[in-house]
Amino acid sequence: MHNTLTRVQNVFGFFTSVAFAVAAAIAISVVLSSQTPSASLQLRNVQVVKGRPHYYSTKREEYAHITFSLDADLSTLFNWNTKQVFAYITASYPSDSPASIPESEAVVWDAVIPAKNAPEHHNTYIHPTKSTARPKTKKERLSLNKAYPPGKEPGILKLDKQKPKYQITDVSGKIAERNNATLTLHWNVQPWVGALVWDNRRTVGRWQGLKGGEAAFEFPPLKATEAKKEDLKTATGKEKNRGSPA
Amino acid sequence: MFSSLGNLQPRQLAAQVLNFALVLSTAFMLWKGLSVFTNSSSPIVVVLSGSMEPAFQRGDLLFLWNRGQETQVGEIVVYNVRGKDIPIVHRVIRRFGGGSAPLQLLTKGDNNAADDTELYARGQSYLDRSKDVIGSVVGYVPFVGYVTILLSEYPWLKTAMLVFMALTVVLQRE
Repeated sequence: MHNTLTRVQNVFGFFTSVAFAVAAAIAISVVLSSQTPSASLQLRNVQVVKGRPHYYSTKREEYAHITFSLDADLSTLFNWNTKQVFAYITASYPSDSPASIPESEAVVWDAVIPAKNAPEHHNTYIHPTKSTARPKTKKERLSLNKAYPPGKEPGILKLDKQKPKYQITDVSGKIAERNNATLTLHWNVQPWVGALVWDNRRTVGRWQGLKGGEAAFEFPPLKATEAKKEDLKTATGKEKNRGSPA
Repeated sequence: MFSSLGNLQPRQLAAQVLNFALVLSTAFMLWKGLSVFTNSSSPIVVVLSGSMEPAFQRGDLLFLWNRGQETQVGEIVVYNVRGKDIPIVHRVIRRFGGGSAPLQLLTKGDNNAADDTELYARGQSYLDRSKDVIGSVVGYVPFVGYVTILLSEYPWLKTAMLVFMALTVVLQRE
């Protein structure tokens, strides 16, 4: 039977098997790429103040405001199958009964770092730049508004006294005076096709584990006096992620 | 093509119909088998909204895993809002409890300005890992699921596809 229908079916069938095989090969081959991430993370300041979850709420909770400095090189995470790296910094602290309940953890800051060949999207990170001078040449203008400092490549982050993106609180509404807290850098590699990968602290095959990217700290007592509004600002970044929740 | 339907012997027709039923039941068994393997009621989901862009676009296919209930911050979970049956794919940004206490999660879409507190059921401020979450995203295939979005947006396509599939199976002769 060599009518048009069977021909179309055969072609489509062959196309899907080839596409599937190529996708599988790409997804598996990432274990051959070598990764050597490095990072140094420092806590710069932490304050705890009283606040409300939103304007119309009557609930008063304690919120922690954490500023940090980060110098990270995650550029080797960008291999042929990387679409983006979602880098994020969390604060973790022991629960009320550390023996039976694991640590609580909350994201303080995050950034979507796209690969160079990823299509443009409004929700990608824009790395802060030091110079406030207006760009003169076209090249200078193009090097601004990237997810990495001018002249560098995706995965490089150099943040000094970075304000948090989120103020955090505990489920109990109390977060002041907790000890043994840790600030940690994490990442999630989003592939073009295949498995999602999160940060590894131990070396796995050709993927070196991350050393550093951790900082121990303590949550201070609640601020008695009203904190200056300027000090408690969060930085949502210049990216326009203003979509409604859905 | 259609004239050949009349020429079919009753036995042959019955065999073809059985064949079609076999195809459908095999697909169903594969789906349920995957469901048992991953311990998730819906092991493969299609992204329906742009709230996780640019990581996931509408129509992307996600593979879920639901064994091991120790969901960490930064993982992307799929959950159903209580009382509504719409799966939502968002990232975990806070976690409390776990171990001997129930694990509570707060989620947020990468592309959203605010966290999901407003999306949850009335009076609920955190997700319950064991009750609300269907699974954690482990695998990703772009765009392939767009067919299902088309099918749900244009219901006549469903009928057309079913009729076409039935006809090709019945009319095909070995």
